[in-house]
Amino acid sequence: MRSRLHGFLAPLFPAEDDGWLTILRVGLGLQVTAYTLSARADWHELYSSSGQGLINRELSEAFLDVQSPLAPRLGWLVSIGKHVCLSEQAVLWLAWACLLGAGILTVLGCFSRLSAVVAWFLHLSAVKSEQFLSYGMDNFTTIGLFYLMLSPLPDKYSFDGILRGKASKRGSLLGFYRRILQIHLCFIYFFSGIAKCTGAEWWNGTAMWQIFTSPPFNLVSPNVVASSAYLLPLLGIGICLLEIGYPVFIWPKITRKIWLSCIVGMHLIVALTMGLYLFSFIMIVLNSAGFAPIPDSAKVKDIFGRAFS
Amino acid sequence: MSSRHFVVAVTNANTLLPASWSPALSFVDRITATALGEQGSTANPVAQAVAAYTYCAGVETGYGFFAPRPSTVRKLVFEIEYSDGRVQYELPHVGDAATGLRLSLLFDSLVRIPYPDLRKTMLKMMAFSVWREHRDATTIRAVFGLVQLPTIAEFKRGKKESYSVLYAYDFTFAPSGATNP
Repeated sequence: MRSRLHGFLAPLFPAEDDGWLTILRVGLGLQVTAYTLSARADWHELYSSSGQGLINRELSEAFLDVQSPLAPRLGWLVSIGKHVCLSEQAVLWLAWACLLGAGILTVLGCFSRLSAVVAWFLHLSAVKSEQFLSYGMDNFTTIGLFYLMLSPLPDKYSFDGILRGKASKRGSLLGFYRRILQIHLCFIYFFSGIAKCTGAEWWNGTAMWQIFTSPPFNLVSPNVVASSAYLLPLLGIGICLLEIGYPVFIWPKITRKIWLSCIVGMHLIVALTMGLYLFSFIMIVLNSAGFAPIPDSAKVKDIFGRAFS
Repeated sequence: MSSRHFVVAVTNANTLLPASWSPALSFVDRITATALGEQGSTANPVAQAVAAYTYCAGVETGYGFFAPRPSTVRKLVFEIEYSDGRVQYELPHVGDAATGLRLSLLFDSLVRIPYPDLRKTMLKMMAFSVWREHRDATTIRAVFGLVQLPTIAEFKRGKKESYSVLYAYDFTFAPSGATNP
């Protein structure tokens, strides 16, 4: 019975190197840093409640309260700030600075666990405090940060791992976390693909036309899109097949590289033609961490050794 | 969660799936909603714990991006009227392109809100942020509408996008001591 259970669970705990964790950590750190810097100009406008905000943060948080009173939000920090005589504005800018700091520390792998937890909490709080303005990119960043803070940090390429010798060596646990991320990605693409397949617009190219010409995604001239109209149905069907086929073709070694390249290519096209840079970046990071072939650490050391010798 | 959102999206939209599938989809929807604790009272601690976990893990929503079809484009225009009869038009503006992208999501949210008073309040908040830069304006009219994009065949024939108004509200703000609505 025990051996059967062991056999059943074994695929969930493959022995893995921590290279994938390095990709996830650096990628998410860059994502959080870029998100924070891009939100700087509107930070106060977005999150203030007293006469400055675009949509009152308190209104958004009241909505959140109905959905989940336990979900993190900036209002909690503002309330704590009041107790220590900090104004709302000061708390908001402090949260912004801490989020930026956590992003940079995550990239470096310095205080890896703490910086990942702080980045997750502050990013989630910010996103949920203006949930009327949040979209898929925010959810995927939260998903990535949630996995990152629970993963066996630090990895051996992090500051903690190199200078403090704290790198995690639990291969099967590393494999388990990567496996969960891989399964989650399969769910994401499968349901995204199957939902698209039920819309007639994805089969005749209309969806691609609408996406490319709808503001604010209309970076490409509609004349250019119209001149290649014959390609649109192929593109739409291709995306549906790519997404539905993801849970099948991403696993075998023979098709993994092809499928991963196509998915990364799709996200690069999304970034360049629709301006969804952060969304595309987080998807590429999650896919790379989940399925990119990780070079043997000895090989990496060899390459670095030769480069510096 | 992803299956629930897929079922909801497909049930509520006009899709290629035959109408005879609707009862089965609704049944699946009820099962997944029960499993996620969404059927009972929101005060139920189990429902609250499930909701908190889904929010913390970033899995409270599904993954149907632009599915089953891309959403309709909406537009918000502010018509700023002055006491001397001048009228100026302005679009909601933000400091960074990344936030500008989010405005389109806000417009989607506005349409989905089932309470007209709440929708009006949200539009008033945005009108207020415009009024702060035009404090001598007498009235700010928020005109929220649909952008009807031409099909590819219509575009080739030279047809341009057109607009239709969904809601329009007039707002006036006191010149001094005004705070966000």
